[in-house]
Amino acid sequence: MTQVADQAYLSTLVSAMSTRLFGAALMSGLSQRSLQSLSDTFGLGPILDEQPSTTAKSRAIEQSFIHMLLTELRVLIRPMNANERGLVLGWGRKYGLYNLKTLIRGKLYELDPKEIRANLFELPSDIHLSDQDLLRAENVLELLRQLEAGPHRQIARQAREVYEQQRDPFALEAAVDQRYYIGLARRIMAFSNDHLASLRRLLGAELDRVALLWLLRFRFCYQLSPSETYYWLVPSMRLLTRERLLQLANLETFDQVLKALPSPLDAVVAESKTIAEVQQRIGRYTSDETRWVLARSQSGVARALAYLMLRETDLMLLFAAVQGQLLQFPEKTVQVALELIEPSCAWSAHQAA
Amino acid sequence: MKHVRLLTLTEALPQASLALAETESFHPDDRPPTEAQLSALPGHVYRERYSQAHSRLDKITRLIPIAPATGIGQIRVVGIEELGALDDWLGKLWEEASGYEEDLHRLDDEDRLVREQQAALQNFAHLNIDLGMLRSKTRFLDIYVGMVPRENLRQLEGAVGLAGYLLHVYMQLDDSTHVVILGPTGAQESKLGPVLSAAGFQSLPIPEELDREPAELQRNLDAKRRSIAEQRQSLQQSLTAWAAPHTDRLIEARHTLMLAEPLVALDPSLRSAGHLAHLAGWVPARAVNALRQRLSDSLNGAFELSVRDPLPEERLLVPTVPVKSRLLAPFAMLVNQYGIPAYGEVDPTPLFALTFLLMFGSMFGDVGQGAVIAGAAWWLRGKLGRFWPFGLMAGLSSIGFGFLYGSIFGYEHVLPALWMSPLSDPLLMLSIALVWGVVFLTVACLLAIYNRLAVRNWPDAVFGHHGVVNLIFYLSLIAGSLQLGRGQGFGTLPAVLIVLSLSALAVHSWRHLEAPVGEKILVVFIETLETIIGYVSNTLSFLRVAAFSLNHVALSIAVFTLAGMMGTFGHVLTVILGNVFVLVLEGGIVMIQVMRLQYYEGFSRYFSGDGHAFAPIRFRRGLS
Repeated sequence: MTQVADQAYLSTLVSAMSTRLFGAALMSGLSQRSLQSLSDTFGLGPILDEQPSTTAKSRAIEQSFIHMLLTELRVLIRPMNANERGLVLGWGRKYGLYNLKTLIRGKLYELDPKEIRANLFELPSDIHLSDQDLLRAENVLELLRQLEAGPHRQIARQAREVYEQQRDPFALEAAVDQRYYIGLARRIMAFSNDHLASLRRLLGAELDRVALLWLLRFRFCYQLSPSETYYWLVPSMRLLTRERLLQLANLETFDQVLKALPSPLDAVVAESKTIAEVQQRIGRYTSDETRWVLARSQSGVARALAYLMLRETDLMLLFAAVQGQLLQFPEKTVQVALELIEPSCAWSAHQAA
Repeated sequence: MKHVRLLTLTEALPQASLALAETESFHPDDRPPTEAQLSALPGHVYRERYSQAHSRLDKITRLIPIAPATGIGQIRVVGIEELGALDDWLGKLWEEASGYEEDLHRLDDEDRLVREQQAALQNFAHLNIDLGMLRSKTRFLDIYVGMVPRENLRQLEGAVGLAGYLLHVYMQLDDSTHVVILGPTGAQESKLGPVLSAAGFQSLPIPEELDREPAELQRNLDAKRRSIAEQRQSLQQSLTAWAAPHTDRLIEARHTLMLAEPLVALDPSLRSAGHLAHLAGWVPARAVNALRQRLSDSLNGAFELSVRDPLPEERLLVPTVPVKSRLLAPFAMLVNQYGIPAYGEVDPTPLFALTFLLMFGSMFGDVGQGAVIAGAAWWLRGKLGRFWPFGLMAGLSSIGFGFLYGSIFGYEHVLPALWMSPLSDPLLMLSIALVWGVVFLTVACLLAIYNRLAVRNWPDAVFGHHGVVNLIFYLSLIAGSLQLGRGQGFGTLPAVLIVLSLSALAVHSWRHLEAPVGEKILVVFIETLETIIGYVSNTLSFLRVAAFSLNHVALSIAVFTLAGMMGTFGHVLTVILGNVFVLVLEGGIVMIQVMRLQYYEGFSRYFSGDGHAFAPIRFRRGLS
């Protein structure tokens, strides 16, 4: 059976679900819409009406969007085999890791368990991390000891040792993020050639984006040494490979790094003056690559993942627009926020204005 | 089952929860009340404190084991203040206890480090260099000897390279990689520290005596491990001494939490408005009066209990009381694998047990092998738990049919058959199996009809799958076939009944279809054909009951034929191994086939299995 026939159901499912993605016109108009208009269009009324405060409304909207995204993820993984399912669930586990970071920060700053719990996402069983048990840990060390007894043993052990030496949440969270992306990169390599090219293009673009932004931040914002910067980066299987990152991390200035980037990244970020500008440009590039995979790839799992990544961006965009209205930010501020999430949407509206 | 609604004072909820737990007859209904005013969640804070206290007690008792609970003991009300005070005390106790736990972890880490050192030194022993040089940094060289998690190695290698250092791997051990990192002394050294820390690098100190006697070194490391073991023992003693004054209070704390648990279990179904609390649930009809009396004694009449029958739309919400018979319990477990009987539905467990034993025994009838199954179930009853009577009864059924067939360990001529050996008249066996199939399917249809009538689903009882019309068709088909078999022709009455019943089904199906005419014709034709083919094939499916009884004898003959070709020892060995083979392989297959007949030919006809089990709140014997 050919790959196309084998993945016919999944591909059809992805195509059907892709109609939910926001069109350019909808995205470009989000920053100008009122809360009432957003609520009417996207059926947010019941969620907004139920909550008493602005914070609670914002939180409930965010939770409902994550719930929606993960529900779609669970629909998409149904026809998948174990490898494909593992990859897509692995991607979705970032929400479990967000909870883990919230727990670590909460315990580190000795916040009230109620406050920590209010900031945890409710997640399905195959993505969550026994949050209730972890929540009852009385301090960071106990939390990390508990994690050491589970599937996050390596992250937790390393994080505990780092924490015992440095008492630094940065190192803990960097280790968690690094393991997440390394895990995704490893999962891709288990796929056959039928899927590999598409997955490399999709996740390679994402890893390139993450590696470049981390490199610039760690090196020039946090002023880490080249060796420490390099240590925290996750090499991509596409443009920013291990050797390329070694070379880039050793450069001394922001401009030198941008000029030394491989093609086509050098052209994408050329003349950028700030990391925010780089973030916008490389974000647009990654989004284009993701849309290409969704539209053209023959691999069902790559298309499903591309759909989820775009859907996540759409929902983040909508959440930013709703939050901007809830907090009564000026339209320009909302536009800037939207532009950082999906660089092509507010940009066009801004240019038109 | 009755639906009850309890209104009482919010302050009396702990008392009410104890009374409900004592009766073991109240299954909470989580639906919120219709009155909008009853919106507060009075048990929420209580549950939070309980969960925290429970978690703390669990952690403490993992460190300081206490005697297991034997019963609920004296019952008293645990108020929120008492629970809060207990939680605070447990919090303080855990703060102290966690210090001991952290010390124990530290000793584990130290022990692991020494073990890694021992392994590293064994590795160094083969190197022909002055390892004393690795101990400290030299004027020009900065040297680190230690280990990193294996998965961090590649990234660390690149990172130390950027700092102008070299990394050499000299040993892999489990998840750790032992490395030597060296580079020029100077400014880069300070940059390497954070990288090593981030990579989880653990330094392995090189002992002073490294370049002297390896055996002495090993002795020193052994002594270190002994010292760690002594420290651990000493720490355990301190822990025990520290824990001794707290043990009684910890046991009391566990008792308090057991008493608090019923109210926590009720939390999702509790609502209140000011001093008025609302609670709803399901209670078996026979237990309502006892529950009312217990509440009356406990709350001094300060409550209102309204009782009503379940509404038709609530049918799927009403829990089903599980079978309590010890003998039927294992069969109930198998039924629950398919589903739990919905409220009003006939519980198939007794019928399942009876038909299962009849079919298993008839397909695997052998006195000796049945005795082995029954004996094994009895012998392993500790490990099989509540499942052991299942094995015992299956074995006894096999023994019973073994006497009827005159079969013992495959020997067909040792024991006189009370009836006959299956192979002596295979056609009779096949006929009996067919009759059994007809009876089984007819009973299944009758149960399906009863279950639908019980919920007043008249249309499906008459025209639905395996309803009255289907049954008329099936029995007419059987009657006609019987007459045909006797050479009397199919008969007019059966033929007329078949045509009428199939026509009725077709008309019913046509009226309920919403589709173009062509599609309707196709669907109705296929459904009618499926009804005919389905009943015929399902009846023939029961031929396997006879086939396996014949197969059992045939397999035994095969074993004895093989055994007959051997000497005395070979004969005995072949008979033993053959019996083991028949027991394991055929026994397993027969079990699967019987389950298939039960699930597919029986349950799928009359059992929806979409109910949920009655789970009343009760006191636990011990905290998990």
